[in-house]
Amino acid sequence: MLDSEKKELMIQTLKNKVDKQILYYLDICARCAICRDACHQYKITKDPKYIPAYRAELIRRLYKKYFSVLGRMFPNIYEAKEVDDEFLLSELYQVAYACTGCRRCMYYCPFSIDTLQILSVAKAILLSAGMGNQILQELSDAAIAKGENIGIFKDIFVKMLKESEPEIREKIKDKNAEIPIDKKNADVLYVALSGMHSILPAAIIFNKAKINWTLSMFEAENYGYFLGDSEKAKTIADRIVKEAERLNVKEVVITECGHAYRVINFFYEAWTGQAPPFKVTALIDAISRYAKEGLIEVNKNSSSEIVTYHDPCQVGRNAGFFDEPRYLINSITDNFRELTPNRTKSWCCGGGGGLVAIPEMDEFRIKTGEIKANQIKEVQAGIVISTCENCRLQINSLNERYELNIKVKSMMEFVAENLKV
Amino acid sequence: MNMDPFSFIVAILVYVAVLVFISGMTFKIIVWARSPGMKINLGMYPKPKNGFIRFFKILKDSFIFPQTLEVDRWMWVFAMLFHFALFVALFGHFRLVKEFTFVSNVIGIDNLNTLGAVGGGTVGITMLIALVYYLFRRFASPYKDISVPEDFLLILLLLGIAGLGVHMRFFGTVHTEDYREYFQSIMRFKPAFNKALAQSQTRWVLSWHVLFVNLFVIYFPFSKLVHVIGTFFTNKIRSE
Repeated sequence: MLDSEKKELMIQTLKNKVDKQILYYLDICARCAICRDACHQYKITKDPKYIPAYRAELIRRLYKKYFSVLGRMFPNIYEAKEVDDEFLLSELYQVAYACTGCRRCMYYCPFSIDTLQILSVAKAILLSAGMGNQILQELSDAAIAKGENIGIFKDIFVKMLKESEPEIREKIKDKNAEIPIDKKNADVLYVALSGMHSILPAAIIFNKAKINWTLSMFEAENYGYFLGDSEKAKTIADRIVKEAERLNVKEVVITECGHAYRVINFFYEAWTGQAPPFKVTALIDAISRYAKEGLIEVNKNSSSEIVTYHDPCQVGRNAGFFDEPRYLINSITDNFRELTPNRTKSWCCGGGGGLVAIPEMDEFRIKTGEIKANQIKEVQAGIVISTCENCRLQINSLNERYELNIKVKSMMEFVAENLKV
Repeated sequence: MNMDPFSFIVAILVYVAVLVFISGMTFKIIVWARSPGMKINLGMYPKPKNGFIRFFKILKDSFIFPQTLEVDRWMWVFAMLFHFALFVALFGHFRLVKEFTFVSNVIGIDNLNTLGAVGGGTVGITMLIALVYYLFRRFASPYKDISVPEDFLLILLLLGIAGLGVHMRFFGTVHTEDYREYFQSIMRFKPAFNKALAQSQTRWVLSWHVLFVNLFVIYFPFSKLVHVIGTFFTNKIRSE
């Protein structure tokens, strides 16, 4: 049982988090459940609690209880529940942290209800009760700690980068190629993920395109966002914003990571009330621009291997990059085949929303990724390209489980491999 | 007074219903307008290229929602049938405010009455069929798991309204002119039955019909039915 102070905090959180947009959604949903088969998690599990409308309904039940006169007077008509209802809280936890935030339900909803936004309220309430996801909490705290103690990490990081430079120089036959860090007045600050796999191919492309760039000391991913803790998410994003301001860069390029671009480009403004004072670009956008401007050139690949592209929800439907990846793939191979459905209607891979980082979700995400696995099987792809780290990790898991025999690549990797030197 | 107490109370309740509806909707819209909004646009891509295209996309998404057809065909079909029938039925009721002389002048009053009988009957029965679909869908899994009593109450209320409406259309000796006199007596704040109504059992059907409409209209601003207006706002969010 929760004590009354905690309960009061949860009710206040509910009140504060319900903004205009969410109020519309809570007021107008007709519970028609047209969204049911839009959600891959319901479609695979057939468990009603994963129907987007049901996920939202849980929040509505709380809202009715405290902020609607009719809901208070006749709770049974709305199945309104107290905020300490244990069954409701346990369902809320399951459905909120299971949601990959793909917003496919929003696409099919006749009212365009954004279930992801409603679930941000759910996560905030759970956090106020100390019931947030443990793993995501630890990962967020680690990211914040790194921001506060960057000196400790810097030397190891620089050493790792120096060791990789020869590889770049050899690849593009340029003795001066480097991975600069902390470079003042660079044009571009590139924000990668932890791991050279997201640094090296991009470094090759930036050096080849002769971009005046510098690498961020921080990783783009934001577990605070997945956790649903806007304070932590803001602190984590702030590391990058502060660095960009300190280095006085013109443009911040975010690596191929679905949520990272959205966090800096959209949510940062929502959390802080002001847009970051520089241009934010997704790497996929930057690469395709370099290619169109002739800063880099690619070789037409002679391999007959079928290449397909998985539209990551956060890159496609939620950020608008549909044509850029297709332009790049088509300039490298003649064997590009589309998954069906694709673009705005693309199925979620099943691993978004930070699910790939939560071990307890492994079985669930691989099971619910079956739709994506079948789509890939259908086109008999040998290479699957995706511009989101979550998606790539997930598709690699699917590759193992469903024996897809595919290679999963990022776009920067695919471009770097086929770069004309 | 030639009204029985029940019919009289129902007629008086019309004023209450109109008042509650107008103030309730005003209140709802004020609450919506005054609640703090997110300053960023979280619409769905690809977004409409300019305001002109966006405007028509919002209308299309609100009135036709074509994407729904792909994922739940029957629900789309019945939702379309229901809302269209409801709209036509509502429009038909304006004959009670003032006879559609612009139609009767052209095709004659007899033809207008036939049109009203056939058209009104058709939309009434269409509504009933769609509502029965709505109701049985809610009894089926998984929809029953996400339904709350409010959903059933609204469907039952609408079934009552449409059922009684269809009854008046097909049975009895009371005609449009009589209903018009009744309706106008309410509009003049002097609710009364004319002779035909006072002598007919149909007055009970009429009064129950009006009672259900009153309840429906009173509850409207405080229910999920505000989707009628809200859908334009949320579909706007989708396109921005």
